[in-house]
Amino acid sequence: MNSPNSHLVSNEPIISVRDVKRVFRSIKKAEGLKGSLQLLYKPQYSEHQALKGFSFDIKAGEFVGLIGANGAGKTTLLKILAGLIPPSSGTATVLGEKPFDRSLSFRKKIALVMGQKAQLWWDLPAVDAFDLLRAIYAIDQTVYRERLNTLAKLLDVTRLLNTQIRRLSLGERMKMELIGAILHWPSIIFLDEPTIGLDVLAAHNLREFLRTFNERERATIILTSHNMDDIEQLCPRILIIRNGELIYDGDPKTLTNRGQCVLKVRLMEKPTNEELAAVCSLNLSQISRPNGGKVPGADLPEGTTDGAAHVEKDDDDEFSEMAAAQELIYFNIERTQVAHILQPLLAKYRLIDMGIDEQTLESVIQRIYEQSPQTAVGASS
Amino acid sequence: MNWQWRWAALKNGFQDATAYRIEFFFEVFGSAVTPAIIQIMLWYALFQVGGASQVAGLSYNELIHYTLVSTLFTQVRGGNNDFELSEMIRSGALSNYLLRPVGVVEFTYIRGVAPKIFIAGLCLVVGIALSFFLGLNPTRILGAMGLAMVGNIIHYQLGAILATAAFHWEEAYSVLMVKNMLVAFLSGELIPLTFFPEKWAWIWKSTPFYLYVFGPTQYALGKWTDAEFFHQVLLSGLWLIGFSILVRVSWALSIRRYQSLGG
Repeated sequence: MNSPNSHLVSNEPIISVRDVKRVFRSIKKAEGLKGSLQLLYKPQYSEHQALKGFSFDIKAGEFVGLIGANGAGKTTLLKILAGLIPPSSGTATVLGEKPFDRSLSFRKKIALVMGQKAQLWWDLPAVDAFDLLRAIYAIDQTVYRERLNTLAKLLDVTRLLNTQIRRLSLGERMKMELIGAILHWPSIIFLDEPTIGLDVLAAHNLREFLRTFNERERATIILTSHNMDDIEQLCPRILIIRNGELIYDGDPKTLTNRGQCVLKVRLMEKPTNEELAAVCSLNLSQISRPNGGKVPGADLPEGTTDGAAHVEKDDDDEFSEMAAAQELIYFNIERTQVAHILQPLLAKYRLIDMGIDEQTLESVIQRIYEQSPQTAVGASS
Repeated sequence: MNWQWRWAALKNGFQDATAYRIEFFFEVFGSAVTPAIIQIMLWYALFQVGGASQVAGLSYNELIHYTLVSTLFTQVRGGNNDFELSEMIRSGALSNYLLRPVGVVEFTYIRGVAPKIFIAGLCLVVGIALSFFLGLNPTRILGAMGLAMVGNIIHYQLGAILATAAFHWEEAYSVLMVKNMLVAFLSGELIPLTFFPEKWAWIWKSTPFYLYVFGPTQYALGKWTDAEFFHQVLLSGLWLIGFSILVRVSWALSIRRYQSLGG
């Protein structure tokens, strides 16, 4: 296989983005008939700032994950880098060119796969579409056959090449889209949720292919996915976008491997968070409960049997899920602190059960999505 | 000039258009026969029922000949690829084509024109056969078909220019529909343009639409001299060049407004 990136100097950024902003203007329609009539004589416009000043560099051969909630700006960024839309301000340079100039040489070296968008022709079998793409990219017949065989075997779609695209399942279509997008062996591949609709095996095969393609061909790959398995297994670098802002640029392990964990305990007694903080020598902010910090039964008049009833039910194995959840206490601590926390805790209280949750990328990302837009991610580089 | 992808796009467009063969044949023959029958019924009503001997200087037989021959060129008249462009702009499907190292306007045309070339071939065979029955010159049928194909390109170019309205207003369907209605009237596919009063003839003469159907029919029927035909071919060349420039300018100016929705 000829490397698409053999001409590139590894330390030079292949993608350079400087203070890129993008604003979309659209018509805003008020609700109902009145809104429709108003639209006819006095249309209202609204502006949405999809990207709020992005800057980063990506070197040749990097595999970068782009993470963000729906509407965060990931796809807008990919579209700017692929040359589909221009930035409202700032500069983006890809392969030494302004993407929106869309020179022929630029378009020959990139690929954009959008999981939600069909690029092949609905009524034709995939093999006819691939043949057209071969001609468009002037791929030699032998090389084309070799690539098509490799990709079709890898993604297990050889038997489907002569089937109309519209007759394929979502996952099969996605595989064909991917083959169509990379038949020309691009230097840069933008992948927008490529594993959407794929079964476990196909997603695994696709990941393996992308990893091999990235390593062997030194192709630069930028991947957006809501599937954290994709990101964790493929991307040594991630960019996290929230509300159009880049809030993290670095190694995903930095986010997950800070030695943080969540110690979960259930106690027979009902200590308040303040009491627990004092016993374990922790900050109050490190202790939380699923019910938002409310101590079950703490606001009940003295002498009521609420707590006892829980214990009794627990002993009888009739502890309801709700009751169990109310007594869970979370300690957000360093992994090395576990023993130091448990010792005073066991000395003072009776333990029902306990567990430790490791931080996964998914849980970290989930927490970031839940945070307010003003909150920065500490490890941003 | 890379002919390889153009040839491949042409083949691909034909494969796409004929994916459903019954639909394809119905489209070709149904769209040819139905309007022709309506026109012939109209002429019959005017002449045989209404008792007219001539309409705008044309006899019953001349109008029947006009209808039969013009039907051949009506089939070659531009398709709806401009509607496709407009819809792609609106839906964001244009992105698929913008990513490829080909010109999107040309690529869409080549894929779309493929079945028309096939139809033009069929019509040419029918036209040459018809020329023996109607006493026409087969060489003129060939020349007229060439002019009709040039008209097909001009029609698409104009559509591609108007389709850029979708960049600004998000939807250009009505603009293109109005254009098509004007074309149907001013190309001569509904009525011969000689029906226009002399003082209004400037209306159809100032558009390129008459080059699609009326012009080729006039030449095939022997109403235009060879010199007049070549003059019209020259004029069509000027329309082609003018519209080529306008296509480039309108797309270059409008593409910045593309939002690439979806995905």
